[in-house]
Amino acid sequence: MAKDTANELRIVGTRPDRPDGLDKVTGRARYGADISAAGLLHGAVVRSPHAHARIVKIDASKALALSGVKAVVTRADFPTGLTGEAWDLQENTMAGERALYDGHAVAAVAATSAQLARDAAKLIEVEYEILPHVTDVDAAMAPDAPIIREGAADHSVPEGLHPNVVRYIEFGHGDLEAGFAQADIVREHQYKTEAAHQGYIEPHACMGQMGADGKGEMWVCTQGHWFIRKMCTQVLGLDASQLRVTPSEIGGGFGGKTTIFMEPLSLALSRKAGGRPVKIVMSRSEVLRATGPTASASMDVKIGMTKDGKITAGSATFRMQGGAFAGAPVDMALYCAFAAYKVPALQHVGYDVLANRPKAAAYRAPGSPMAAFAVESLVDEMCTELGLDPLEVRVKNAAQSHETSSFGPKFGVIGLNETLAATQAHPNLSVPLGPNQGRGIASGFWFNHGGDTSVSMALGEDGTVTVSIGTPDIGGSRASMAMMAAETLQIPYDNVRVNIVETGALGVNEPTHGSRATFATGKATVEAAQSMIVEMCKRAAAKWGIEPEAVEWRDGAAHPAGPNAGEYPPMTIGEIGAAMSNTGGPIAGHHESVPAGVGESFGTHVVDVEVDPETGRTTILRYLVVQDAGRAIHPAYVEGQYQGGAVQGIGWALNEEYVYDDMGRLQNPVFLDYRVPVASDLPMIDTVIVEVPNPGHPYGVRGVGETGIAPPLPAVANAVAAATGVRMRHLPITPSKLLSAIKASKNG
Amino acid sequence: MAVCFLRRIEDRQTWHMVPRRINHMNISFLLNGETVHLSDVHPTTTLLDWLRETRGLTGTKEGCNEGDCGACTVIVLDAETTRPLNACILFLPQLQGKAIRTIEGIASGDTLHPAQQAMIDLHGSQCGFCTPGFVTSMVAAGINGDTDFDTTLAGNLCRCTGYAPIARAAKHTETAPLPDWVATDRQALAACAKAALTAAQPGSGDALAALLVDQPQTRLIAGATDLGLWVTKHLTDLGPVAFLNAARDLAQITETDTHWDIGAMVTIETLRLWAVDHMPALADLLRRYASTQVRMAATLGGNIANGSPIGDSPPALIALGATLTLRRGDTRRTIPLQDFFIDYGKQDLQPSEFVQSIQIPKTDHDLRCYKISKRFDQDISALLGCFNIRVDANTIQDAKIAFGGMAGIPKRASAVERALMGQPWSLDTITAAHSAWAEDFQPLSDMRASAGYRLTTARNLLVRYFHDRAATPTSVHEVTV
Repeated sequence: MAKDTANELRIVGTRPDRPDGLDKVTGRARYGADISAAGLLHGAVVRSPHAHARIVKIDASKALALSGVKAVVTRADFPTGLTGEAWDLQENTMAGERALYDGHAVAAVAATSAQLARDAAKLIEVEYEILPHVTDVDAAMAPDAPIIREGAADHSVPEGLHPNVVRYIEFGHGDLEAGFAQADIVREHQYKTEAAHQGYIEPHACMGQMGADGKGEMWVCTQGHWFIRKMCTQVLGLDASQLRVTPSEIGGGFGGKTTIFMEPLSLALSRKAGGRPVKIVMSRSEVLRATGPTASASMDVKIGMTKDGKITAGSATFRMQGGAFAGAPVDMALYCAFAAYKVPALQHVGYDVLANRPKAAAYRAPGSPMAAFAVESLVDEMCTELGLDPLEVRVKNAAQSHETSSFGPKFGVIGLNETLAATQAHPNLSVPLGPNQGRGIASGFWFNHGGDTSVSMALGEDGTVTVSIGTPDIGGSRASMAMMAAETLQIPYDNVRVNIVETGALGVNEPTHGSRATFATGKATVEAAQSMIVEMCKRAAAKWGIEPEAVEWRDGAAHPAGPNAGEYPPMTIGEIGAAMSNTGGPIAGHHESVPAGVGESFGTHVVDVEVDPETGRTTILRYLVVQDAGRAIHPAYVEGQYQGGAVQGIGWALNEEYVYDDMGRLQNPVFLDYRVPVASDLPMIDTVIVEVPNPGHPYGVRGVGETGIAPPLPAVANAVAAATGVRMRHLPITPSKLLSAIKASKNG
Repeated sequence: MAVCFLRRIEDRQTWHMVPRRINHMNISFLLNGETVHLSDVHPTTTLLDWLRETRGLTGTKEGCNEGDCGACTVIVLDAETTRPLNACILFLPQLQGKAIRTIEGIASGDTLHPAQQAMIDLHGSQCGFCTPGFVTSMVAAGINGDTDFDTTLAGNLCRCTGYAPIARAAKHTETAPLPDWVATDRQALAACAKAALTAAQPGSGDALAALLVDQPQTRLIAGATDLGLWVTKHLTDLGPVAFLNAARDLAQITETDTHWDIGAMVTIETLRLWAVDHMPALADLLRRYASTQVRMAATLGGNIANGSPIGDSPPALIALGATLTLRRGDTRRTIPLQDFFIDYGKQDLQPSEFVQSIQIPKTDHDLRCYKISKRFDQDISALLGCFNIRVDANTIQDAKIAFGGMAGIPKRASAVERALMGQPWSLDTITAAHSAWAEDFQPLSDMRASAGYRLTTARNLLVRYFHDRAATPTSVHEVTV
């Protein structure tokens, strides 16, 4: 049960320094590329310059002739016979018969220096037969589109669709026709979003070592090292237990570091180079061309609304391409589409479509931002048409706790009402706007996640505690775990050290993804601490010669539970630690589970923009994030998630996109041309942490990482519409597009 | 950075391997207070690679290897200046006689620099990968007394935080006392024996002229903010190179009765600081030239000599009526700056000739510059319009209008100028000049902007210039900074 009031808490809700703070400001923190080893080789990857091509021949003889080049691998060095997702991973790691996108790996080389490896990669000659390609999602579904992979569709796809449609999803409830008939207005529009990249500043890096005996080691920047272990061993045909994966510090992930790219190549190269360690560090261009950006989306949304703002029915048809493999998050997008609303009749249809682009990976609330853009844009447009307050309409239609969600399951306790109320009360809403300025409002949703979780905890001889967790710390989660452990054990925060340990040291852990770490690892940390408390109470009971049930834990010490238990002075955690060798040996706690009780998170954003009518440039004037955190363990890091998510969404709304040329080559694979926001693009992002505790977590935690990226896309578009009268239904809202639209609206 | 029509495509199969030359250079500098002498490094070894691979100083990060993200920012000091620079596009010979401070050398003993402490206290790190670069940028800004945190942070990308806690940390650092190592490094530099310069490190304009006559194929490296990318992104072997950082006589700003003479090696930042007093409109424009790190390395001569159609300084200088002095051996010639740009990739530069200086006339002007890009900082201009129109008795006496991003070269709007000359200074005149724009410019569509957008916006900018001169509040607050 969640604690009833924050007053009982001593540590949760405070803002202590993070344990890794000093490492990060002194350069001591070791990230993926910061590793070295005796006998180190450096790897480089040869990548397809074509969007779609048959690989006719690979000739590595010139590279291998260079002194210092130790190994070359191609797909021929990988096991055959894989199926399903394992085959997809292997094919994406290294192209087989065909290169499927610009940047697809076709060979890799290991050499004694990074420079030599890059030189050798250039000497590997690949003969291609160029094939027709397609990169746009709508074009990829058209009857004349080139077939990217025959037979890739699963059983869900109805007959008659293009073979590039590989998954189909359909669900809904209520009488749609009747719902639309009850509406005073019914509006329908098409919306498009372009692919965006997570844009983590640290490029992917790993060092792999694999002996002829099949035993391997890997150091890698990742959100989840058990995923790396599982995927690498699947792709290479190894036993999971034989590969030990140690995570480095991670320089951002946002979902993009939950899968493999060049990691198996380092192991394959190492095995071929006599077991010498092989380090591979991606360049920024490789990151943008050949890792896992988001899907791009084409969406039709139809909504019926009464004059007083009641939504009577809605439908959403989403088409998404997630690259040359199945896996665009069209299902998630549809689940999120109407999640903030209670609508009597809804229909959802989704198409997962192949295109000659890199295999999409997760990016912060996968699918939710696109869905929010389409639905929240249309709701806003209808509010404007009917002269209704968009916040009032959201309140009127808001999804409620314990009621059935738009996507089927019943919600638990949710804080949407409270979030909307806090938004209405915020002073940003009463700031007057000037000419060419507009205010946009939108809500967003993410499910949050539990997943495989394993935590252990050990008592030191001096009463300090080490916690071993398996979820890499991207945004301060070590601090949150230490706080929850210290809160539960009732000891000082500084007496707890949290380590992220390698795959051999714990049960399987899912990555730091799905906004699960503070919830799931946090819950397991609390459970582990409680199991350690039980053991410590036992030790005290044995010493005192009383029943363990007669001992209680408070203020970091065992106490007799009451007068009946006997009169003994408290035994502190330090005393228990010092005596443990003589009282039964080491004291540890652990917990393994797939935690239930995930708490969903809603957020509402309000943005004020100003549009330059002569250049079409949009400036963000002020920005407000209001989101339910359940309970903020470390409020500074909750605010950090809110602000970071909002800014990524702002970038996606205004500037960021993958631009392919006619040949299907990525045109902007550098930060100079892939424009993520810089400090001067942004105001200080205002935040309000709403706390409607999640009963499924001992301290009330909901995940907070993901929701924040969804509302900015529609909020910015709604604000631009308010400022200009022009509705932008295709992101990003570049100055060029917006100026044309303004001109067209004036001429029209 | 300044030139980005160069396609940044690596790993493509068109690459040919060229044997890598080693031409020896003598380089000595201070690294975190320790003296370093190098004589056997490849001249285009970047400081970043050398720090990480040779010295094991991995606190300096590689995020992009092209000067866009700032994760590799280090502090470079000499007797007069303190500069935050991108180590990824800084070649070792450029560090001759300098003192370098990396993130590992920022603290004073066990005492963190206030910027480091503020980043901890104010929770400025999430993943922390960009943190070293932000800290070094803040420390350098603190030493220089720069208090505009947007400027301080413009060259550093963070993807986690949305910048708010970092901006607070930067604000907090403004009052930090000077780190003790600033003085000790400068003392050590002064006491340090100067390494003998090799031929590839000309110590003066004369030495450079002689070198180029002798070896015309030598490629000149000034700030390396553009050429650096040839090495780090295109993996190009630059062939024989010469580093100009020792030629201090080329880095002077001098004044005559008729003009200011700006040496080719004057950095963009030095020019900007000079322009704050002398030509505020130019200073405002240069504030938007890339980022602090790039402005502190890039030179005016480099920005002109590489002939980019989207370099930010040429249109403004052309609108000011600037001339360019080129030198070959002992021969010098001076040409209007606009004539230097012949065609895309082609400049009026003879073998063995180099850009010596730029002259800006001291005539009255009403220069205003409008840089149009998606981001305020760290962005390539989609287009850049620079206007300098002289009006007497409400009649246009002279009009100099130059644009970047509208053609294959920085180009004057000659037809528009003709349409304006002798006409009353009014919106009617501007409207009447409408069709002249298409005569002057047939811009391209690319990912930064469409051709139609460029032409429309160029026209709009003249309207804005009209309103700005009249001090009529225009519909927008931002464009001229």
